[in-house]
Amino acid sequence: MNVLMPQLGETVTEGTVAHWHKKVGDTVIADEIILDIETDKVSMEIPAPGNGVIKEIRVQEGTTVEVGTVLAVIESSAGEAQSAEAQSPQAQAAQTPAAQPAAAPAAAKPAVEAPAVAAVAQPAPAAAAPAQLAATGTAAAPVARDHGQRLSPAVRRLAAEYRLDLKAVPGSGRNGRITRRNVLDFIQRQQSAPPAAAPLAAAPAPAAASALAAAPAARAPASSPAGPPPTAMDGGSAANAERDLRPAGAKTVPFTRIRKLTAEHMVRSKATSPHVLQAVEVDFYRVDVVRRNLRDAWKQRHGHSLTYLPFIANAVCRALEDFPNLNSSVHGDSLILHPSVNLGVAVDLGAEGLVAPVIKHADRMSVAQLADAIAEIAQRSRAGKLKPDDFQGGTYTLSNSGTFGTLITAPIINQPQVAILSTDGVRKKPVVVETSEGDSIAIRPVGVLAQSFDHRAVDGAYSAAFLDRVRKIIETSHWVVEV
Amino acid sequence: MAPGVAARSPQVSISTETRLKLYRTMLECRVLEKRAYDLFMQNLIKGTSHLALGQEAIAAGFGTAMRPDDYTFCTYRGHNHTLVRGVGMTEILGELMGNSSGLMRGKGGSMHLTSVEHHMMGSYAIIGAHMTIANGAAWSAQYRGTEQVAVCFFGDGTTNIGAFHEALNFAVIWKLPVVFVCENNLYMEYTSIHDVTAVEHPAADRASAYGLEPVLIDGNDVDVVYRTAQRALELARKGGGPSLIEAETYRHGGHSRADPGKYRPDEEVKAWLAKDPLPRYRARLLDLGINVADIEKIEAETNAEIDRATEAARNAPPPPIEIANTDVWADGGSAWRN
Amino acid sequence: MAQLTYRDAVAAGIAQEMRRDSNVVLLGEDVARAGGVFKATVGLLDEFGPKRVKDTPISEQAIVGAAMGAAMTGLRPIVDLMFSDFFAVTWDIVANQIAKTRYMTDGQVTLPLVIRSANGAGSRFGAQHSQSVENWAMAIPGLKVVAPSNPSDVKGMLAAAIRDDDPVLFFEQKSLYAAKGEVPDGEHFVPLGKASVVREGKDVTIVALALMVPRALKAAEALKEQHGIDATVVDVRSLVPLDTQTILREVAKTGRLVTVEENPRLCGWGAEIASIVAEELFWDLDGPIVRITTPHVPLAAANNLEDAQLPTPERIVAGVRQLVD
Repeated sequence: MNVLMPQLGETVTEGTVAHWHKKVGDTVIADEIILDIETDKVSMEIPAPGNGVIKEIRVQEGTTVEVGTVLAVIESSAGEAQSAEAQSPQAQAAQTPAAQPAAAPAAAKPAVEAPAVAAVAQPAPAAAAPAQLAATGTAAAPVARDHGQRLSPAVRRLAAEYRLDLKAVPGSGRNGRITRRNVLDFIQRQQSAPPAAAPLAAAPAPAAASALAAAPAARAPASSPAGPPPTAMDGGSAANAERDLRPAGAKTVPFTRIRKLTAEHMVRSKATSPHVLQAVEVDFYRVDVVRRNLRDAWKQRHGHSLTYLPFIANAVCRALEDFPNLNSSVHGDSLILHPSVNLGVAVDLGAEGLVAPVIKHADRMSVAQLADAIAEIAQRSRAGKLKPDDFQGGTYTLSNSGTFGTLITAPIINQPQVAILSTDGVRKKPVVVETSEGDSIAIRPVGVLAQSFDHRAVDGAYSAAFLDRVRKIIETSHWVVEV
Repeated sequence: MAPGVAARSPQVSISTETRLKLYRTMLECRVLEKRAYDLFMQNLIKGTSHLALGQEAIAAGFGTAMRPDDYTFCTYRGHNHTLVRGVGMTEILGELMGNSSGLMRGKGGSMHLTSVEHHMMGSYAIIGAHMTIANGAAWSAQYRGTEQVAVCFFGDGTTNIGAFHEALNFAVIWKLPVVFVCENNLYMEYTSIHDVTAVEHPAADRASAYGLEPVLIDGNDVDVVYRTAQRALELARKGGGPSLIEAETYRHGGHSRADPGKYRPDEEVKAWLAKDPLPRYRARLLDLGINVADIEKIEAETNAEIDRATEAARNAPPPPIEIANTDVWADGGSAWRN
Repeated sequence: MAQLTYRDAVAAGIAQEMRRDSNVVLLGEDVARAGGVFKATVGLLDEFGPKRVKDTPISEQAIVGAAMGAAMTGLRPIVDLMFSDFFAVTWDIVANQIAKTRYMTDGQVTLPLVIRSANGAGSRFGAQHSQSVENWAMAIPGLKVVAPSNPSDVKGMLAAAIRDDDPVLFFEQKSLYAAKGEVPDGEHFVPLGKASVVREGKDVTIVALALMVPRALKAAEALKEQHGIDATVVDVRSLVPLDTQTILREVAKTGRLVTVEENPRLCGWGAEIASIVAEELFWDLDGPIVRITTPHVPLAAANNLEDAQLPTPERIVAGVRQLVD
């Protein structure tokens, strides 16, 4: 039987094959979606006209053809396909007792009880698995699942590293096999989930164990069941030799839990977001005037110094009102714009690692309120008194590297946000001052603000405009701070 | 000797100085090989070793006639050929003992003694191959116009391998400056050469097949060897092409250290021992009126030298482990991948 | 850029180096007056004269031995061995002497020589003149082994081989001699030890050598057009030194490896690469490693028989399809 390009509207004469969900040799059942087509008015999923096997695909993806063109030929197997399907789990149970060894020796626990545990490669009883997995329904849902799941080394490793329950991963490979691509896509979808559900958002603090409880458990990785990451091995091959090659006298410092989790988060962030760095040089003259005037009074009243940071935070919040795409999260093919600015402020705890507790609704705060909020949260961070709630809901992050007098930093985005701003050292520099009488040189406190943005969310011009706005706010605002 | 085969060595006079040098060189070869034998018996030399005891005159005669930049190629029975090019006894014994004092720091062993610095271009364990390689060195000299000559030593057994025949034909057609010297000690490993060769004189009787003059000489008479060498080298240097020389000799020991040589008839062994090149030459020197004190001085110095060299070689440390996998490539490394 | 045939690229590469260095010399059977039985050395005798371009008798051991002796003593000889099957006549010199002498002499000897030969099948020459023996050479420590697939690489890699101070076995595929390709003008040099990614894809990595490279590219086209499979094709072109990093990187991207080898099934070069990938990239593999090779049988002479034995684009497509889901 032929699959034809349908007429999708009275005046439509042609259509484009957008995506084949099947390929030559695949078995299909009636009404199963086999391809997507598009016209300039509409896009549509096309079902198989009957049961059979795809014998030919005549029109490739991206090709536009006239209505009525044969897109594919299916070899009909009217009665056969159904019985084949009904038979397959049992038939394969009978035929493939050898599938059992695919189970990792250490994966004794059935995966069912703890979905958060990475239970890899345990072939479930024949009937249960297909039904469960088929339920992850997208148009590309597979037909009957293979009884003995074939989990390739790549799939096993990814499952172990990301602590995945493979039952939740739809497989589009041959016979429903979970391919590496399937796992990677699954991971990506997980990572674009909204903040509350995001398993890996925010760097952990000492009290973070409970914060991560809702997410797949961050178990000690020492021995995951069936797919330990590559270990150093003896002999010959250069790559393995490299992993274990330590110069004589070198000291091995194992990662602390914080370090390990930070490392994983950083790698994943870079893998998720295409980072672009942009920076502006800001003249903090006007901010400095206020700081100098209020210095002693502020310190006495509030118990901490008035730094540049609350001014920058305030400027960022104000600028984000006009550049909301930078206060967002990527979710699949969409940008979720957050209603307020929940500002993460990175705090370096030294040996305890890096944390970024969140000041909620920072956009509603004055400079003075921001200053107090920042000081309070930093103090609680260092005292180890942060609560899980402190890490929830951040929409934009400030990373203050400036205390060490750096020139510029390219920070790593705190997923699932789309931007992060580094505030680097402010130092006295000669700048050109333009006046109506002409240009002159003045000594001004100058610092670089550097933003890393996720190029999926915004483009360079947008980010540059935002930074320009931040700079202008800092340089031209008539700053008033109530002590 | 068969009719029609000549052993021509014009009676060019040899100076006393040269004669003493010839004697010293032969003696050095003798003491070196004897010491190697002793050390093998003491298990200080492992593996295998092929001694040329009794064949000193050939190595010494040629070694003395050759220019310092002429090339030597020889087989695994090459301790003497290495020594006569000026390589030290310590370096040779050290290589046999497989320690860091060795000529190749133990990486090559007895069968592969090489010293490019002395133009000693290698001892080769697969016979015949080195004849083709000697051709290459000769071609290089010819190409560069340097008048260097390559001299290639091999045994009677080599005359039956394919490469022997290819090399001779090749050398003749390109008129290469190479001298091929067959040390016919009458035995190919454990077998009499006559049993396995179609002609009586394994090298000399094949010369005419390649358009070469047959040359058959008494390989235990160092003066004869010396004069023959000079003639062949001169011919090659002047662009006259290759020579093939068969020098008859005899080895005092077996094929290798593992072989006591019991397959040879007693009378034969006795007869040849009587033609031992060393006492024979010593007697000749005295006949020619050379001062015995000069001869004894040579003997004392040589014996002292072998003892000193043995000590030095014995006390050397084993080769550094790091060199086990180095120098496969010109960059000193052995990497086959990145 | 110029369009050169594979055979003309050989002569061009040799000429380039002979002009550059007067120590480079060429010897072999019928190389000078006849310009080579495959006409790959035409014009060299005229340009460089009989002192540097020399015809030899049919004496493979003497030829290769002479090259070794000359290389030991200051020259940079190129041997034309005619058919790579003839290596079997010379393994004593090549494997026992050339490959090992530098090592045995503790680095005293350097052997800057090149042995070129016409390798491989497809020309109906029969079993003794159609073998691919680069895998035999690969198994001997001390020899560099290269096999270019196109005229540009022929010229550039031959130049690199001649300038290399180590012995290089340069395998030309005899059925590619008439193939045309773009070759850069001027001095052309392609370093040894680098593989070439000739097609980028995402579903499978096909690693091929010499004649199998154009066949793999044809297969990749068919895979894309007819089956929606997007293949990367890597031209290994240098077996020793081996560009392992490129191969590992490209296989890691797709998770799938297919090798296409002209060697008979056992111990072809692809087996070594499969072994390296299986060891070092195990956790990135999304399916078994597939090797597409000639069967373990001598090659036939008749057109259809030889064609049935050598990997074809169709066989490559089938091999990839069984792997990619």
